[in-house]
Amino acid sequence: MDLMDKLTILADGAKYDAACTSSGADRPGGGGLGSTIAAGCCHSFSADGRCVSLLKVLMSNNCIYDCKYCVNRSSNDIARTSFTPEELAELTIEFYRRNYIEGLFLSSGVLRNPDYTMEQMIRALEIIRYKYDFWGYIHAKTIPGASPDLIWRLGLVADRLSVNIELPSEDSLSRLAPAKTRKAILRPMAQIAAGRQQNTRELAHYKHAPTFAGAGQATQMIIGASPESDYSILRLAEGLYGRYELKRVFYSAYIPVVEDSLLPSVETKPPLLREHRLYQADFLLRQYRFVADEILSEEAPNFNPYLDPKCNWAIHNMHLFPVDVNTASQATLLRVPGIGPLSAKRIVAARKTGRLGMPELKKIGVVLKRAQYFITTADNPTGLHTGREATVRALIDPGVYSAGMEQLSLFGPPGMGLPALPGPGDVATVAQAAEEVVACLAKAM
Amino acid sequence: MPGKSDVMPCGRRTYCGRANCRHTAHCRKLEAQQEQAAAKSGADVHGPAQGRAPRPRPAPSPKKPLARPADVVYLYDGSLPGFYCCVYESVYSHELPLAIWPEDDAPPTLFRQKLIATEQDKAERVRASVPKKISAAALELVETVYLSCLAEKEIAMLRFLLLGYQRGRPVMQMLGHADVAPMLAAQKHLGGEAHLLLGFVRFSDYDGVLGATISPKNFILPFIASHFVSRYAQEDFLIYDKTHKAALIYEQGRQRIVPMEGIVFPKASEAEEAYRAMWKQFYNTISIEARENPRCRMTHMPKRYWENMLEVQDLL
Ligand code: SF4
Repeated sequence: MDLMDKLTILADGAKYDAACTSSGADRPGGGGLGSTIAAGCCHSFSADGRCVSLLKVLMSNNCIYDCKYCVNRSSNDIARTSFTPEELAELTIEFYRRNYIEGLFLSSGVLRNPDYTMEQMIRALEIIRYKYDFWGYIHAKTIPGASPDLIWRLGLVADRLSVNIELPSEDSLSRLAPAKTRKAILRPMAQIAAGRQQNTRELAHYKHAPTFAGAGQATQMIIGASPESDYSILRLAEGLYGRYELKRVFYSAYIPVVEDSLLPSVETKPPLLREHRLYQADFLLRQYRFVADEILSEEAPNFNPYLDPKCNWAIHNMHLFPVDVNTASQATLLRVPGIGPLSAKRIVAARKTGRLGMPELKKIGVVLKRAQYFITTADNPTGLHTGREATVRALIDPGVYSAGMEQLSLFGPPGMGLPALPGPGDVATVAQAAEEVVACLAKAM
Repeated sequence: MPGKSDVMPCGRRTYCGRANCRHTAHCRKLEAQQEQAAAKSGADVHGPAQGRAPRPRPAPSPKKPLARPADVVYLYDGSLPGFYCCVYESVYSHELPLAIWPEDDAPPTLFRQKLIATEQDKAERVRASVPKKISAAALELVETVYLSCLAEKEIAMLRFLLLGYQRGRPVMQMLGHADVAPMLAAQKHLGGEAHLLLGFVRFSDYDGVLGATISPKNFILPFIASHFVSRYAQEDFLIYDKTHKAALIYEQGRQRIVPMEGIVFPKASEAEEAYRAMWKQFYNTISIEARENPRCRMTHMPKRYWENMLEVQDLL
């Protein structure tokens, strides 16, 4: 099999992995080939609109396990192949030289056994790092069940490690991926977190101590293959951020690959809107100092399909608004729909030179369409009084009615007594549903 | 330049400049009346400076602009020092021109034109004044916008500087001001394009030398140079900017940006063709059909970059 065919098969097997950013490492070139930039860098965008940053491939798709949701499961009838470490190293370097990619994202099915697979991966990465003197970005996925010293060695050649949590609960794991257990997944995660802490201490003492997973660790879970609520997923993510110092949790909308009584049918559309809401909520956790319990709760465990989580939070906490943009703290400003971390910072800077009104806010980059209902400004000292319905109408996420509608939660109603989302293209229903939603949300305010 | 013989309407030599000085206030009123009368009789009070020394200026008060709008167009040689000489001219003749154009591609106009000569020492003085009177960030902003594709950028830069001379360092915080916002927007636009290009440049290996073509709107070569130099420290490479007819060349550890009319790359080798094909194949493979979203792709990767991007140029 030639390299082209291998690349096709092994890229195809890796494409469902969501974790593909090159961010988090900032290292100027060290004289060899390559460098990394903290902000990450997209080299292209594929037809599905996702950033192509890394050469995302599997070492091998020849997997001995049979996880139900995975295209590479042993019972699936597909072509199987593996890169040799040398092939993969050369391919990575030549792609990198042409500026096609920012680095490598290497994952693998379990070839023979976990340790053998890890050794192959480490071998490839060591060639890239040491033979080619490569200073670019490498993200490697640990293989479940691999021994701790191999995880350590992998961390010495990779910038970021990830251990995939796969499914949001132990229960789903035992149903859909019987070879994996929650404990076996969390153990390497804890090892990496501890290893990084120790490494930071060492680096403080000896400058030349080897760096271990300098860009931290990440994880990924599949959304929509199992029945967990959005609330439990978000709580899980929050716990992971806190306990294992994860840099990122990635959510991957389940795309049905097989007909199985344990899984949603193959006709089911991937829950993209739900995935989107999870990323929005995740962002609130990481950048806006929200906690999961503010965003969702036992009583309302699923996202509102019509509102992004921040707007949803705001309309349920109207007693905190309006806030005065000329005096409110940066943390308070961050809670206003339409004001992001950057514009909050800019507001605090700009108001030192004069009181701010609507036109200034607009130039600063505040999304007034949403923010105006929640703030008072120099030219509008009492705030806008337009009634709840107008507020809600302005906040509704326009993306919600766009193509490719799906049911937000496969296993439960959207909650809050909201009408279900109408089918795509059903214009009359869409307009009608929007009005119903507005009325319903306004009542809840 | 400021004429010593010129006296205030009341006969005093100069303004004392104190804000609450009654004497000054009185004279300002007189002055305004005189101007009005002159305007009525058809005389041009802001007219050409020839033969008439400008009025002595009051000490700068924060409200009064440094230069007044004048029906004149400045033409300069298009260089950055040339632009600084336009600033010099504007400040010392207290006039804010309608436009500043590079003389080579100035559109025909009926307005009076002033050809501003480039003098290095004047330019140096103006350039040095910016960090001193405003801030280093302001200088960086002006010199970045100079490389941007902002329409009528010179006049925007001048307006910004005039405001900056008055307000000093805080001008950089006046994000909403009409003379500041467009500058920041242009800087952001350039920065955004430079960042995109870090990823979108596609090199080919021509017998060990890497070569690429780009066609950005802003002149971003100076902004992406350090990234690629650090990335390809051991390589030799060339990035050709088709829009601005210039190339970034990095050769044996030394980089330079040179003007270049055009470039013809040699034919790709077999190995090169193989990697190109594999990259296209990889690109097409990783897209997930169930998530297809061409609109999203277009917002992130605007079509105008596609011509130089291997994996999508066939789609154009
Ligand atoms: S171990 Fe990984 S590659 Fe193998 S079947 Fe499970 S998820 Fe797929």
